[in-house]
Formats: sequence, C-alpha cells, structure tokens
Amino acid sequence: MNPILADIYSTVIPSAPYLIAAYALIWVALLVYVVFVVKGIKKTERQMAALEAAYERDSRATD
Amino acid sequence: MSRTGGSAMARSKDKSVKLPDAGGWQDAIAVPAAIAGAILTTAGFLMAFLWAAPVNGAAVNGFEMIGDTVVTHQQLISQKIFYFHMPAAIVSFFSLAMAAFYGIRFLMTHEQRFDTCSRALMEIALLFVIMTMITGDLWTRFEWGVWWTWEPRLTTYLILMLIVIAYFVLRNAVDEPEKRATFASVVSIIALVDVPICFMVTRMIPSSVHPVVLREGGMSFDMGVTVLVVLIGMLCLGHALYRLRFRSLRLRERLEALKEILDERPMDNPFSGGLPAAVSPVAVHEARETGPKTVLRPNGEPRPNKGKIRSEYPTCLLR
Repeated sequence: MNPILADIYSTVIPSAPYLIAAYALIWVALLVYVVFVVKGIKKTERQMAALEAAYERDSRATD
Repeated sequence: MSRTGGSAMARSKDKSVKLPDAGGWQDAIAVPAAIAGAILTTAGFLMAFLWAAPVNGAAVNGFEMIGDTVVTHQQLISQKIFYFHMPAAIVSFFSLAMAAFYGIRFLMTHEQRFDTCSRALMEIALLFVIMTMITGDLWTRFEWGVWWTWEPRLTTYLILMLIVIAYFVLRNAVDEPEKRATFASVVSIIALVDVPICFMVTRMIPSSVHPVVLREGGMSFDMGVTVLVVLIGMLCLGHALYRLRFRSLRLRERLEALKEILDERPMDNPFSGGLPAAVSPVAVHEARETGPKTVLRPNGEPRPNKGKIRSEYPTCLLR
C-alpha cells in the first residue's frame, strides 16, 4: 500500500475491535435489561395465575 | 408513623395529588417510542459510519486523494464511539433528574407510587451509565492506552455510578418500606447533585484531558445531526424501557398487596389456611423451615403474626 495511505489508515484497523466491542456491548446491555424486566413480568404473571387458579378452586369447593 | 399511615396522612392532607400509574398517554406512546428509538439509533449508527466525516488525527508526511477529498491526517475511526457515548450519558443524566424529581415528590407526599417511579428511573439511569462507561472505557483504552485513569470527568462519573449502585444496595438493605423509600429518595437527590459536577468538571478544571466538544471547536453539521438523531433515539428507548419497568413494578406491587389482603382476612377469603403454596414456594418453604417470622412495628413492638407469610406492601397500594 502507498505509505501515505498506510499512515492515514494506521489507526483504523487497530481501533476496529474497540469500536465493534463498544457498539456490541451497548446492545448487549440493553438486551440484558429487557430480558431481566421481561423475566420479572413473567414471574409476576405466573404468581397471578396461581392465585387465580387457587381462588377458582376454593370458590368451587365452597359452593 | 405506621407503614400505611404515611400514605393515609398524605391523602388526607392533599387529595389532589395525581399519582402516576400504568396506562395513560405515557404508556400509549411507549411502543411507538420503542420503535422510533430502534429506527433512530440504527439510522444514527449508519450515519456515523456512512455520512459523518471522520475526525482528523496526527498529520501525515504528505497527502492523498480519497474520493474527492485531499486527506493530510490520520483518520480517527475510534471517534465514532462518541456518537453513542455522549447521548447515553445525556440520557443517564436525564433519568437521574427525573428519578430525583420523583424522589422529591415522594418526600413531599409519602406516596409509594412516586418511589416506584423513582426506582424504575434509577434502573434506567444505571443502564445508561453502564453504557456510557463501556463506550468511554473502550475509547480510553485505544486512545490513551489505559483501561482507567483518574481523570476528573472519569472520576466524577465513576462516583455517579457508585452512588446509583449504592441506591440499589440501600434498597435491598432496608426492609421497612417507608424508611426504604425515604432513604432511597435522598440518595436519588444526592445522585442528581453529582450530575452538574460531572458535566462541568472538564470546564472547571482546564487540565482535564477528557475531550470537550465546545472547547475543541464544536461539531460540524454532519456530526451534530448524527448525535442529535442518536440522542432522540436513545431518549425514546429510555422512555419505553422506563414505562415497561414501571408497569412491571406496579404489577408486582398490586400482586403483593392482593396477597396481603387475602392473607390478612382469613374469615372473608377462601384461603383461610393461608396463601396457596404455588404463590410463593420459596417463602412457604422458608416459613416452614424457620417458623413464623417476627415482624416489628415501627415503634418496636412485635406485630401480631399468625404464622403466615406477610407481604411487605401496604394494602393502600391496591388503590
């Protein structure tokens, strides 16, 4: 490669891993948080369903 | 003051307090905001690499024509990190400001709902603080050759991150809900105090080596537009995540309040023998292993405990 061009691009390739990692980790952080929140919602929904099922069962038993 | 007494007192004092809740316009715009956030951040990512001109580094010994442009300097591709780094930091500041606002609202009214808002916003703030730290640290590693340096901006932002982490440690350490919310509100306000310090420190300490956009001549039009697009996208994402988390926390609070009501009224409800085991198997197991828990009232007296699992949430949360 032309030495001047090589000098111009000398920081491009060495910085690429840091650049890619920075952008990838941003989306990983976002994704992890969304998964954390959705898991919390699912757990709450399971508890709500268990409560409803128990209420139904006991209501039928008392009738 | 009893756990529910604070809210009851607040209601009698100020019946016009409008409580934030799930639903309403804020939730109505959450899904469009999430879509807009995804589109804008993706557009910003493409603009950063395909449109915004690279920033010049050290001069080279000559020049070359690249495209139609005469290039005489090294091209600092690592600067592209900036397009997501600064917007993430601004969203973290904005979230902290809103968290402190709701913290102040809680201290004024003692309404649990404001504490819930504050907690959700502190989580969003922590998420964006982590994103800022990740991007900043990777840039620091490449440009300065170190993973960390005690530079004023980095140090104040680290302190900010530690305050936000301390907020969650404190929440987990205090059992009594009203006391926990009060302490947490104070910490959210302390975190906000660090925001202007963090923002201004590079201006107050001229020896700071952290890049300052205005000090270095401001942004060109293409850079400015790219940052703006990403910033709007991240604000939209932040709002959507906040509403998702707030709804999740509210749902859990309502469930806990419902469990407590059913548990405390054995004559009126079908669960006269206690809550069904499926509701909380871990808590049931713990109760069987350790026996009834002694729950203290705020005045130190043991609260009557029928050996059932108690929720920590007051019944007023069902409102």
